[in-house]
Amino acid sequence: MSEQYTPLDDIPRVLASARTAFLSDRAKPVAFRKQQIAQVGYLLKDNEERFKEALKLDLGRHAVETELFDFGPTYKDVRVAYDNVDKWTKVQPVDFNLNYIAMRPTIKAEPKGVILIVSAFNVPLFLTLGPLVSAIASGCAAVIKPSEAVPHVNLLLAELIPKYLDPELYHVIQGGVAETSKILELRWDHSEFSRGERVGRIIAQAAAKHLTPITLELGGCKNPVVVDPKVDIEMTARRLLWGRFSNAGQVCTCPEYVLVPRTFQSTLLSALKDAYGKFYPEGPENSDSFSRIVTREHAARLQGLLKRTNGEIVCGGDVNVEKKYVAPTIVNNVTAEDALMGEEMFGPVLLIVPVEDVDEAIAFIRARETPLAVYVFSQDKKFQEKVFSSTRSGAALANETVLSPAVPGFPVGGVGASGYGYYAGKQAFEQFTHYRVSLDNPSWVDTLVFGFRFPPYRDTYKRYVKMMHAPLPPRPTKGAKTTGPGVAWTWWISFVVSRLVSASSLMLVRSSDALRRLKP
Amino acid sequence: MATLTYTRIEDIPKIHATAREAFASGRTKSIAFRKAQIAQVGYLLKDNEQRIKDALKSDLGRPYLETELLDFAAVYGEVRMVYDKIDQWVKPQRIDFHFNWFPMGPKLVAEPKGVILNIAPFNVPVFLLLSPLVSAIAAGNGAVLKPSEQTPAFSQLIAELLPKYLDPELYAVINGGVAETTKMLELPWDHILYTGNGRIGRIIAAAAAKHLTPTTLELGGQNPVVVDPKMDVHLTAKRLLWGRFSNAGQICLAPEYVLVPAHFQDTLIEEMKKVYKTFYPDGPENSDSFSRIVTTAHTQRIKKRLDETKGKVVLGGATDVEKRYIAPTVVRDVPVDDSLLTEEIFGPVLPIVPVKDVDEAISIIRSKDYPLAVYVFSNDPKFEEKVFSNTKSGAAVTNETVITAGVPGLPVGGIGPSGYGYYTGKHCFEQFTHWRVSLKNPGWVDKVAFGFRYPPYKPDYQKYVKGITSSLPPRPGTQSGTAKRWAFWLLFALVGAGSVVLTRSRGQLKA
Repeated sequence: MSEQYTPLDDIPRVLASARTAFLSDRAKPVAFRKQQIAQVGYLLKDNEERFKEALKLDLGRHAVETELFDFGPTYKDVRVAYDNVDKWTKVQPVDFNLNYIAMRPTIKAEPKGVILIVSAFNVPLFLTLGPLVSAIASGCAAVIKPSEAVPHVNLLLAELIPKYLDPELYHVIQGGVAETSKILELRWDHSEFSRGERVGRIIAQAAAKHLTPITLELGGCKNPVVVDPKVDIEMTARRLLWGRFSNAGQVCTCPEYVLVPRTFQSTLLSALKDAYGKFYPEGPENSDSFSRIVTREHAARLQGLLKRTNGEIVCGGDVNVEKKYVAPTIVNNVTAEDALMGEEMFGPVLLIVPVEDVDEAIAFIRARETPLAVYVFSQDKKFQEKVFSSTRSGAALANETVLSPAVPGFPVGGVGASGYGYYAGKQAFEQFTHYRVSLDNPSWVDTLVFGFRFPPYRDTYKRYVKMMHAPLPPRPTKGAKTTGPGVAWTWWISFVVSRLVSASSLMLVRSSDALRRLKP
Repeated sequence: MATLTYTRIEDIPKIHATAREAFASGRTKSIAFRKAQIAQVGYLLKDNEQRIKDALKSDLGRPYLETELLDFAAVYGEVRMVYDKIDQWVKPQRIDFHFNWFPMGPKLVAEPKGVILNIAPFNVPVFLLLSPLVSAIAAGNGAVLKPSEQTPAFSQLIAELLPKYLDPELYAVINGGVAETTKMLELPWDHILYTGNGRIGRIIAAAAAKHLTPTTLELGGQNPVVVDPKMDVHLTAKRLLWGRFSNAGQICLAPEYVLVPAHFQDTLIEEMKKVYKTFYPDGPENSDSFSRIVTTAHTQRIKKRLDETKGKVVLGGATDVEKRYIAPTVVRDVPVDDSLLTEEIFGPVLPIVPVKDVDEAISIIRSKDYPLAVYVFSNDPKFEEKVFSNTKSGAAVTNETVITAGVPGLPVGGIGPSGYGYYTGKHCFEQFTHWRVSLKNPGWVDKVAFGFRYPPYKPDYQKYVKGITSSLPPRPGTQSGTAKRWAFWLLFALVGAGSVVLTRSRGQLKA
């Protein structure tokens, strides 16, 4: 469908149009932003059937998965942003501080400019429209480059976005490598990118040239699961397989490998097999509840990986590259060096890695790059806490997988190798926002306190400087010196005195305000 | 000139590894530990105020008062605020109540990113080095500090003091020049904060990109001042000259050029002359209240630009490259394309640019890169608002210059070419923090609401999906269907009551 690609020459024009529209300030009123945010919701709502159909074509995906992974989280983003944008954009005062209160320091949320959103194929609506909602909420313009791997979804987005939203502020660019390279030559005010560590580095380097801040949502590393033998085993098996096989395993937050104590391994396996049987009673190939891999190349890559494993395939294992089909697969007795333990698999293959105990499981996780999520299945709070506090990850979920991006108010984001910055919620809004600080200093402040700063500097400055210097917290007790009670008393006396000064200065502010009002 | 001992290149990866190991040991998890270290940053300064003031006197010819005001006050303010606020900042955050999710106890936990690298410049060396350190400690990180090699006395001193006051494995100083910095940039850090210029900023960002390291860049730029002729001219002149001449103009937030209505230029300059006299009664060269330029190279650079200006020097103008002296200087009738306006001067030279009116002033600001600050001198809120709302900048300040960085609670940060990310306060704490989301989903939730998600998918899934999907806001341009919404809320309440009953019965069973 390459004939649908945006002509290369048009790409700088798209940015210029977005920038001009942004500079026109029409995205400034919060009412306008709310209206556009709502429109993102109706863009989906009015076309749900068409999107489900497109995703059926692009990913062989059942409507339930589209509802759960794309519609639900996007509607949630719409609602959260719509309900909170008034609060988020309110001018914030700073905490009371004697020396500065008269200057009325405030913090104001201002938009960064034009946001570039390069989204992945796997959850194409949420990863595109979610950041778009955040960009709109912060008052920015946005240009979206959806993945070329889901052409039917893209066609719809390109058709609908200009219909529902301000067509100059928000744009879609379609294309592949050439178009993306062209996009990356341009200067954006913030770039957001999901999936693929290698491309992530390219994006980051291109952004560095223009000093553009970025958000990277990389996945990239495998999300581990730690299973405690004292757990509801049926629930564990069901939620694990669901997380791994939904969308044919093409979800960044998928559980990739399960660390299970050897003594419990056979119990877990038979529970997994039971759940597998229930999920696909007539076999997964005939099930309408199982998606396909996005491209033949990716299916072939998974086939290659499966051939090279030294583990034991206990469920699934068959691949039909032509049909982009990789069976939901469970591989048992996978070791740390196995071919499947290399990069993130991004397909419906769940690995069982036997370990001695929870300590070995923790050491296994810590020896690898920081994942997007760590999952624990356990009813024991101490067990959960031990795993979570000894590991790092974007998300830490107990007795659940994948679901966290759907929770209203949760940011979605990695740490370390799994990326940085956030999707969704207030954190994403803040990322597209510059907090511009402001103050207004009345002239009498110099008379009262700040006059000492002007040259020529006199020795008496020390008195004033001491007033400016915040008192330190008590000295940590390990050292030889401690703050004696005498010192503390003088501090309190000076505190009371400074309070009195502040009261008089406040009165001065008020009276000067009153005078100002009296003057015509 | 003091001599600075550079860190050995082969030691740099070791320092990095030590900080990482110390971080991995988990000892920064304790908030009490963090608070003790934060307090120690304060005492590191407090106990050595005189030595630091002397070091900066030697490095920058800087009067003690400026060190107190620009460096000490800002760090003490930061230490105190962060110390008092940290317990509140690290508390796990609950999300707004939400029906479908509250049984899972969703929360956000503030976790440290790892080991932070802070590369600081020469101009406000204590504040720019130690205030991000306070934020890094507060968030539970390790940190490696790289002070500027252009302030040898101070950088030597801080390398001596830091290990005495702070955990010497978690927090370290690396001293050096280009070779040492290049070596540092080869290593994987968990966040890099750099303060300086755009050229190096790009190098830092590109090096960080290789390791997918997030960065904060504080780059400066040319900060404009817009003067309203109806403003108290004495106050304007005084605060402008103070902001421009403090630290010999070597402050990222210093006002860089003044846009003034042409008919008001003479009045402003007359007032500046008076103020200038009161600032330097015996001439600036003999004044002990005026700093020197950091290096002869920078002095030469500023001199060259002064030599090339088409404007008219009305105050100062004298230079002595050997002595690193540039007189506090005011230049009038400076055209927009002048040598003094091409890039940041970073010295004590204030160009005055006459304009027709405020609209021309705004259009000049808009034609240039976004600065760190826009300053307005006016008592007319409409005038202020007009300038601020038509421009973009890190800070928007009325009737004052420079001091925003010292106000506890105000973040310091640029936008566009003036950089991104923040110094100080909660914003810097959050920048060094990863918000790790967490939830715990009880088994029964699948029975009540989330069971439909498992294959084989059944045709009746729609009714469950509706139950867990957020309702949309009203369609723009229409009245929302109130009746429909009522039905929705009723259903909502019913499902709610049902799940509460279930939770309770489950709890009783357990008991």
